[in-house]
Amino acid sequence: MAYKTIVVDNIDILVVGAGLSGTGAAWEARYWGQDKKIVIAEKANIYRSGAVAMGLYAINCYMGTRFGENNPEDHVRYARNDLMGMVREDLLFDMARHVDSAVHQFEEWGLPLMRDPETGKYQREGKWQIMIHGESYKPIVAMAAIKSADKVYNRICVTHLLMDEAKENRVAGAVGFNVRTGDFYVFKSKTVIVAAGGASMIYKPRSTGEGAGRVWYAPWSSGSAYGLLIQAGAKMTQMENRIVLARFKDGYGPVGAYFLHLKTYTQNAYGEEYESHWYDELKKMVGEYIDHHPVPTCLRNHALIREVLAGRGPIHMVTMHSFQDPHLEEVGWHNFLGMTVGQAVLWAANDVDPKCENPELTTSEPYVMGSHATGCGAWVSGPEDVSPPEYFWGYNRMTTVHGLFGAGDAAGGTPHAFSSGSFTEGRLAAKAACQYIDDGKAEGIVVSERQIEELREKIYKPLENYKIWRNEIVAGTVSPTVLLPKQGLIRMQKIMDEYCGGVSMQYMTNERLLNIGLMKLQLLKEDMEMLAAADLHELLRCWELHHRVLTSEAVMHHTLFRKETRWPGYYYRGDHLYLDDENWHVLTVSRRDPKTGEYTMEKAPLYHIVGDVEEEYEKKKKAKKKAS
Amino acid sequence: MITTNPFAGLAEYGITPGMMMAFVILMVLAVVVGTALDVLHKKSHKYFFEHEERMKKLATRELSSAEKTSMLIQTITSEVLTSSEFHNPKRRLAHLLKMYGFVLFVLSSAVLIFAYPTTADAPFWAFLWHLGAIMVAIGGYWFFFSLRVDVQSEGNKWWNLKKRDLFIVSLLATVTFGLLWSLFGTVVLFALFIISTAVLFGSVYWSKFAHMFFKPAAAYQKRKLMADGSRENLPPFYKRAEVLDQSTMDLVRDIPKDQKFGLCIMKDEPKHY
Amino acid sequence: MPTFVYMTRCDGCGYCVDICPSDIMHIDDTWRRAYNLEPDMCWECYSCVKACPMHAIDVRGYADFCPLGHAVRVHRDEEEGIIAWRIKFRSGRIKDLVAPITTKPWGKFIPNLREVAPPTDEQRKSQLLFNEPKYIRLDDGDLYTLESQGLKMRQGVYY
Repeated sequence: MAYKTIVVDNIDILVVGAGLSGTGAAWEARYWGQDKKIVIAEKANIYRSGAVAMGLYAINCYMGTRFGENNPEDHVRYARNDLMGMVREDLLFDMARHVDSAVHQFEEWGLPLMRDPETGKYQREGKWQIMIHGESYKPIVAMAAIKSADKVYNRICVTHLLMDEAKENRVAGAVGFNVRTGDFYVFKSKTVIVAAGGASMIYKPRSTGEGAGRVWYAPWSSGSAYGLLIQAGAKMTQMENRIVLARFKDGYGPVGAYFLHLKTYTQNAYGEEYESHWYDELKKMVGEYIDHHPVPTCLRNHALIREVLAGRGPIHMVTMHSFQDPHLEEVGWHNFLGMTVGQAVLWAANDVDPKCENPELTTSEPYVMGSHATGCGAWVSGPEDVSPPEYFWGYNRMTTVHGLFGAGDAAGGTPHAFSSGSFTEGRLAAKAACQYIDDGKAEGIVVSERQIEELREKIYKPLENYKIWRNEIVAGTVSPTVLLPKQGLIRMQKIMDEYCGGVSMQYMTNERLLNIGLMKLQLLKEDMEMLAAADLHELLRCWELHHRVLTSEAVMHHTLFRKETRWPGYYYRGDHLYLDDENWHVLTVSRRDPKTGEYTMEKAPLYHIVGDVEEEYEKKKKAKKKAS
Repeated sequence: MITTNPFAGLAEYGITPGMMMAFVILMVLAVVVGTALDVLHKKSHKYFFEHEERMKKLATRELSSAEKTSMLIQTITSEVLTSSEFHNPKRRLAHLLKMYGFVLFVLSSAVLIFAYPTTADAPFWAFLWHLGAIMVAIGGYWFFFSLRVDVQSEGNKWWNLKKRDLFIVSLLATVTFGLLWSLFGTVVLFALFIISTAVLFGSVYWSKFAHMFFKPAAAYQKRKLMADGSRENLPPFYKRAEVLDQSTMDLVRDIPKDQKFGLCIMKDEPKHY
Repeated sequence: MPTFVYMTRCDGCGYCVDICPSDIMHIDDTWRRAYNLEPDMCWECYSCVKACPMHAIDVRGYADFCPLGHAVRVHRDEEEGIIAWRIKFRSGRIKDLVAPITTKPWGKFIPNLREVAPPTDEQRKSQLLFNEPKYIRLDDGDLYTLESQGLKMRQGVYY
């Protein structure tokens, strides 16, 4: 193979993945490191990459302290409540206190933020969301990152991180290949900020033909945020906390604006409100969490799933009332065109006019990510002035590997960050990374030629496999020796679906199923040594699959470890069908030993931000107890 | 040198003017037959007309014959004669060099072979023949080494040839061997020239050659469909000033109407890797 | 709704290949024109559709669940700063929409952070980011802390 090896040396800050958190990181890093070498490695084209490539119609995380709307701690309480308590409140508070400054800059750069004509405030969609015309959200933030970075390397699929050989557990850069030229890229860097994406397509999707591409989270979100960190031996947290979305059927079009701004609501096939049907059952499963406001997303999912299983489906979104207002109807369509065009296509194809009929809703296959209503990701340090000792080890957003930072989907325990919060996390990580370098923590990094050569050989092996074993068969895709990336993907999806609570199991699993699943995943991993790629596009798919499988494995281990059903509606442990605050009011933390591949699991304490609101609540609770 | 008729000395190789004339006629026939087969076999003409019929149903107005004539003229002056359909100015220039060079080359070949089969001294036509070949070579090699989209945007190496390259490679081979033969006059170069010419004109059915016939037709059709209101389902190409009264345009209502925003994604050439 | 390319409209310019986030728009071996080589990895994000200068790329709703006969087409104009959509339903009904995509000349108001005044040591030690605290509320107040908000971090179940 004639692919060149291109070494990019002396990098101070390497940003892997330039979605919203990566662009935030590269942008901010330039301020704290005006003379530092800042480099971006991006799998696609930075102008349209990451989950915001298509655009967004809302910024879902904006406090509005400027307008006296919410304080950061309010957002912490909101996210804590939605995730049934399982969040890193230090990280959430930190993100929330900075996030508005990012949004104000977006407006200055030209992002069209809508304003309420009467109050002059940003147009609210809901308590936390503001409405935007965000078709070019990504190109705009990309320009900021391009301006700050020394160089953006587009179309580089980063496959592995480089590790320092002088000091244990310290990062030294990353390697990958150029999806166009095929050349091997070696980035030697003092720090690495992993800002790659979460994982779509690790569970069998509801639509299995062309429609498999109409996943809720972008198909190019290949779990590289997790794959890269897990391979490097970074500790991960809350990986069991996969998310299931209640969305418009088949197109998975967004419902946020519909519920919050357009005031649509749901009902069952017979026009009844149905969530109350499941109140008693949920009360038994999760206790007083069902009484919280707003009702946590997972519990509302539970009601939807159970109602359909009870034979009263489908569930409809009642749009017929709101859509009589032509302005709201226009907002409804723009909402799709701005962020999920496919839903508009689906309705156009099926002649759905939401003025005249109430479209169907459904629950999606599960996704693993850390910036929406879920908090999978790396176990990272919080900020010095907020974090308790268990959550703090020197540098904000640094993982348990020295010099390796995470932001966005890569940082665990920080749900409800969305686009603006991810961008903010990138900024926080960038400042800390500069500080880490200035403190002299990145001196004397050694990377041997051997490490690089071994990785090079590994990366191109699927091309080699294909070439050699192509000779075995006449034509076609069936080989007794090698595995194509699509075949591996579908095999993984079936394992996750059937053994780890996918949609065809109605999100149900248990210890026995998980153990079988892990065994089957192990066999898949062994077979993946014989992955075969006919060209560079397929080589890209091979490495995406590697990252997805590493993510899946972590999800299985975490699901097995947490012996309770914390999030009914996201998944169910059939052998522990109740929420158990006594034993499991903790965060789960895992580490995969990079040498042996063995997993170790531990519980980490859960700290909550406590203020007047909580004290008031405690008092009431005690009084209630006394009374009873 | 470039004013000498290269076909005049063919008798040296025992090739009579009649043979050359027969070859030219054969090539013309090859193109006609190849194109006809291409159209008939693939039913591309049927698609063409059925698509037009389908789109006509969406038309909001009927085009007058004067309008159609004017569009036909525009198609000829704009797309056909100046290749305006190319978005990239470099590609447009390379294409024009190749196209006009090729026309000169073919035309002058025919004239030289039929009118001056044995006359070395035909400076005007011989000059055109060489000029045409050089123009094709300049446009063609430029295209071949850096403008081919698979080379420019896909990052493929230039030597990675596929079926799509049959036309450009045989075209380049034809003019290159033709020029070399005219320069050095060896029988081997002449043979290579004849072989590549035969491949160029004989492979119409398999190569992209036939595109030169359907491209103008498609361009004319596009003009008609954009004008009759069916627009191939495309929205109107508004100017901002025209839509400021739309409810979602609040944010840009206060910006000067003639303000232009410049380019963002479309600023760069499509080769981000 | 995977994308597809109209044979007679594509001029093989490469913008779709260059922009596709999923790396599925590629150049065909026979015609040197673009096509979607992996429709089940297409998110219908329209990045390529919007970038195509020829309007040669269109979308046909996913075969799994979309009847034929529809269209959602778009014209994105960076110079004008607007995007126009046309939705054609299977029934033939048409809906046109238009929206702004920027309010400023592209990139002009993004400061170059190499050239701004460098941060002080005090700022480096603080929790502040670039342009903070000013940009948090656009006033003179400081960053929020646990103390400023009367908060503590405590272990246990508190709600």
